[in-house]
Amino acid sequence: MKDIQQTYMVSSVAQVNATYFCLTLDAPALAKQVKPGQFIHIKVSDGFEPLFRRPFSVYRAQKGRVEIFFEPVGRGSKFLAEKKKGDTLDVLGPLGKPFTLPGKNVKQVVFIAGGIGVAPFMMFSDRLKGHKAEKILLYGGRTKAHTFAMNEFKKNGVKTFVATDDGSVGIQGRVSELFPKIDIASTTMMYACGPKPMMKAVAEFAKEKGLRGEASMEEIMACGLGACLGCSIPTTKGYRTVCHDGPVFNLEELIFS
Amino acid sequence: MNISVKIAHSVFPNPVTVASGTFGHSEELYAAKEVKCLGAVMPKTVTLHAQEGNPPRRICETPSGMINAIGIENPGIDRFIADKLPKLKKIGVPVMVSISAHSEDDFALMAEKLNAAGGLAAIELNLSCPNLQKKILVAQSAEATAAVVKRVKAVSQYPVIAKLTPNVTDIVEIAIAAESAGADAISMVNTFAAMAIDVHKRRSRIGNFTGGLSGPAIRPIAVRMVCQTAPRIKIPIIGMGGIATTNDALEFLIAGATMVAVGTYNFVNPKAPFEILQGIKAYMKTHKMTDIRELIGSIQR
Repeated sequence: MKDIQQTYMVSSVAQVNATYFCLTLDAPALAKQVKPGQFIHIKVSDGFEPLFRRPFSVYRAQKGRVEIFFEPVGRGSKFLAEKKKGDTLDVLGPLGKPFTLPGKNVKQVVFIAGGIGVAPFMMFSDRLKGHKAEKILLYGGRTKAHTFAMNEFKKNGVKTFVATDDGSVGIQGRVSELFPKIDIASTTMMYACGPKPMMKAVAEFAKEKGLRGEASMEEIMACGLGACLGCSIPTTKGYRTVCHDGPVFNLEELIFS
Repeated sequence: MNISVKIAHSVFPNPVTVASGTFGHSEELYAAKEVKCLGAVMPKTVTLHAQEGNPPRRICETPSGMINAIGIENPGIDRFIADKLPKLKKIGVPVMVSISAHSEDDFALMAEKLNAAGGLAAIELNLSCPNLQKKILVAQSAEATAAVVKRVKAVSQYPVIAKLTPNVTDIVEIAIAAESAGADAISMVNTFAAMAIDVHKRRSRIGNFTGGLSGPAIRPIAVRMVCQTAPRIKIPIIGMGGIATTNDALEFLIAGATMVAVGTYNFVNPKAPFEILQGIKAYMKTHKMTDIRELIGSIQR
C-alpha cells in the first residue's frame, strides 16, 4: 500500500472562474505514474465528516505536480476549497483503468465532455501531442461559467466546439448537437466524460454510426479499490465496479436505463 | 508481549482482523506489509450459487457512517474456492471464510466444500439471511440461529463463528443460543437496518430501498452490545462496528471482545488495521501489560 497511499502537500488552491476551483498537489511519484482517465481518491478532512474519500480525475500531471478541478458544491469538495498551500492530503492513487490510447491508424480523436467532465481530457491531450490524428473537443456546459480551459486545449492542438444551455458561449443547446463535427467516415475514436444523459447520447450515436469509443463513468464511491462493490453499474458483462473495472468502459459495454 | 488469541483450536498471531465485505481489494495489494500483519483475513461472504448483487445505488454516505445494500455479490462457493481462496491463503495469515445460505442444508453443504478445500482457520456464519419459514432473519431467532449452528458444527472441521445482527430485542439471548448449539465464537455486530431519503426526488437513496448502517456512527451501540454479551458467554467475541482508530478497538477489547475487526473504515483508510495493531501494542507497553488477556474484558464495573 506504500505505493498507492501517500501524503502529499498542497502547492496551491485557486478559483479559476465563477464555478470551478483548481487544486495542485506536489506529488512527483503520482505525476509520473498516473495515466489519462485514472483518478485519485482524496481524504478531504481529518475526522469522520465526510466519511468517504472523494474521487477526482487528474486534470494535469506534469513537472512533479498533479492538478484536479472541482466545483465546491458537495460535502467533500467544500473542504478542498478551503485548503491552503502547505496543507497535506492523504491520497490513494492512481486508481482505476485508464483510457486506451488511440492506435496509430486513428485519424480523428473526439473528446466529448459535459461540465467538469472535461478534466481528464486535458491530461489526455497533453499526452497526445505527438499523435497525428485530428483532435476535437465537443464540450457542453450549463453556462459560460461552467466551461473552462478552452485556450489550454487550443494550445494542445485541439479544436474546440462548445454548446451551453443558455448560449452564453458557443451554440445554445446540448452537446449532442455538436455530433455533426464527428467524421463518421474516418477512423474515429471517441472518448466521453460527463453526466449520464450525455453519455447515453454518445453511446447511442456510436452504436448508430458504428464508431468505437470509451466513456469514463461516475458513481458514488467508498473504497476506490474494488473491495466494497458499492459503485457497481450494470454492463453487458454484469455489474462492474466504476472504481476498479472502470472508470473507463467501452461504450458498447454500458447499459443505460 | 503475547498478543496471540485463540478461537477453539485455531491460533491467531494478533487480535486484529477485518469484517467480511470490507476486504478483498485488488489482489496485488495482498503482498503489502499492512495485509501480512493482520491477525486473520476475512473475505466477503460467499453463497452456494453466484449472486449478482443489488441494483445501484448500493451505498450512500450518512453522518459518520454509510448505508449499504450490496446484496452479497459473489461468484459462488465453487469459484471462490477455485479462484480466490488460493490467493488468500498465499498471504500467509489465517483465513476465515464467511458463508451465508437460505437453508440449513445449504449451510452444511458449503461447510463440507470448505472442509475439502482445507487450510482455513475458521468459518463465519453470516446469519443475516432470511429465514424462509419465519419471514425474519435467522439471526433474529434464537431457535433458528441454534439450528444452523448445530447443523454446521456437525460437519465442519473448522471452528464455527456465528455472526449476529444487532436488529433484535436482546442480542445476549441469541449469543447464548449460538453458544449452546456449539458455536466456537460470536462475531458482533452486523449492520443496523437503516434508510436515507433523497428529499428532492422523494426516493430512497438506496436502490434496494433499505440497507445496513455501518461506520463510526454505530460504534457506541456495538460496544454496549459486546459489553452486555461478554460476561454471559464463555466463547470469544470478535467485536466490530465502526472501528476506525486504536481507541475504538481498545473499547471493544476492554468491553470483552477477544478479537476486533475493522469494517467500513477499511474503505477510508486501508492501513487502519495495521495502524490499530501498532496502537494496541503501544497501549499495552504504556500500561505495562505483557498479555492481551490483561486487556480483554478489563472493564471496571
